[in-house]
Amino acid sequence: MRSFKILNIIILISIASISCSREIDVQYQLNEVDVFEAKSQKIKAKNEAEYISILYTNLFQQAISPVQLFQSQNVLYSIGDQNVAKEMLLSNYFNRTDIQIPSDIEMRLNLEKFIIDTYKRFLLRLPSEGEKSYFMRYIQARPNLSVEMVYTAFAASDEYNFY
Amino acid sequence: MKRKEFIKKTGLLVGGGLVGPYILPSGRLFARSGTEKAKHVVLVMFAGGVRQQESVLQRYLEDSQGVSGAYGNIMPNLFLGDSPNKKVVYGLDLPGEPRGSDPIPRLLNTPLSQQGLFFPEVRAQSAGHYVGLNTLLTGSLGLSQGLKVRPQSPTIFEYLRRHRGFAATDTWFVGNTIGNSTPLLNSSDSSDYGLNFGANMFVPPISFGTAGKNTLSNAKPYSNADLAPMYEMKDFLDNSFNLEQSLVRTVKNTDVERTRIKEFIRNTFTKQSLGQIAMPPSSSGGDAFNVAYAAEILKEFKPKMLAVNLSEVDGCHSNFTGYLRSLHRADHITGWLWQYIQNNIPEMAGETIFIIAPETGRNLKPNPIIDENDWLAYDHSDANSLRVWSVMAGKNVPNRKVGSESSPVGRLTDIVPTIADIFGIYDDVMQSGYIDSQATSQFLRV
Repeated sequence: MRSFKILNIIILISIASISCSREIDVQYQLNEVDVFEAKSQKIKAKNEAEYISILYTNLFQQAISPVQLFQSQNVLYSIGDQNVAKEMLLSNYFNRTDIQIPSDIEMRLNLEKFIIDTYKRFLLRLPSEGEKSYFMRYIQARPNLSVEMVYTAFAASDEYNFY
Repeated sequence: MKRKEFIKKTGLLVGGGLVGPYILPSGRLFARSGTEKAKHVVLVMFAGGVRQQESVLQRYLEDSQGVSGAYGNIMPNLFLGDSPNKKVVYGLDLPGEPRGSDPIPRLLNTPLSQQGLFFPEVRAQSAGHYVGLNTLLTGSLGLSQGLKVRPQSPTIFEYLRRHRGFAATDTWFVGNTIGNSTPLLNSSDSSDYGLNFGANMFVPPISFGTAGKNTLSNAKPYSNADLAPMYEMKDFLDNSFNLEQSLVRTVKNTDVERTRIKEFIRNTFTKQSLGQIAMPPSSSGGDAFNVAYAAEILKEFKPKMLAVNLSEVDGCHSNFTGYLRSLHRADHITGWLWQYIQNNIPEMAGETIFIIAPETGRNLKPNPIIDENDWLAYDHSDANSLRVWSVMAGKNVPNRKVGSESSPVGRLTDIVPTIADIFGIYDDVMQSGYIDSQATSQFLRV
């Protein structure tokens, strides 16, 4: 009889040990992190088609037509100084009314934000403190300086030609 | 500071200030190893594969198609000789007359070959276009030169910019197409020279044609004052990025030069819309368009060295009649360009040397393709394709004919040493290690 009790206890303990336990609800989440390119990692040159296509989408917020892309690409090929060619292309884009850029007033209302946005928009990275400081001082010191000229400088820069 | 030390330091400072600005990109203090013969050189790369028989030998249809008695000169602005009087098809079209029966009137009283150094039988180093063009611009044999890559050896533009200290806008290459690797000819890939010393370039049929008009003609007019801050910001960004020299992919002008080129582009579109671009009077094809815009570049920039490429003659692969017409027109527009310089650019008139040479010849035997007149076409691949000529006229060029059909003198690789000789950097170029060992200045072959 005693041994039967011991057996019952062992069985009860065994059942208790394998019985269901409280389920823990585990959730995995991602922290939001801003990911930007580092300029030192930009070693691949954009070809003419990439440059034009990226620039056009950037400035007009829509894709360039194949005919326009083909013509623009050929024109870049046909000019020896690519800086001249690209600055001329930009000048033509800035002469269009459908270009999507902030106004000069918006630029000066929140200059720091404008500079950070411009770096992110063109160079896909945040400015260093030194770069931010340079542009803050440079733009503040020149009341007539336009968004157009700032954007031209960024779009014609060496860094914008690489990814 | 002691007096002696003060005098020493002041002397060094003043000396450095005087000498510094004259040190060339090559690191040399003095630019020239010889005397400058002229202030400007214009090289016409003529014109896509020219057969000796129809050009300098003036055999017209008698040689090429076996038409007895149909011989004569169809290039009256370059060569001396009577025009053919039988089966004339290369001229202008007159109503009611057979096509091409009216030859374009000669522009120059004296053909260019009679005004200077004329080499009627020169050896080309390649039967292909791109290597031939490379030969004309680099003076090297180009034996391992590939397509779709820049010249392996430095171009004359790079020699002139490095050893003579010319600015980017002093040197121009005017291409006729963006195909066939042509837009790569403004600079080599040489590590000793390269794009830092390359020439500016336009390909007028594209830059100023429909594509250029649609892409560039609506540019805003910016003043130097407008652009100065943009250049400063760009310089800041470029310095921050610090692009490796090996990754540089473009010729670079100074900010002032860039503004000037952009103004030139804008003004040229304006002139174009007003019909003010000067054109050769009797030709409007692609080569004429190219030469007309080369003339605009000459007028604006007065460059030290400009090379312009013509290529319509290459239609000879499938259309012999078209080839004759193109050859006649290439002669016309070349004569026009020389005349334009003399009459419209006072700074260059009398101060320019004009050089004309084909990049390659054409075959002795035809291919089987026949044209509208049942005439056979010609390719370029045999020994006859290595037979070409060259003409040089202008300031300080002796008036002489050197060589003959039976006695060839000169090589196409001579052109670069000749231009180097004209600008007084002959020794620098010949000692660069890139020039064909058999090449020499044409002035020294006289």
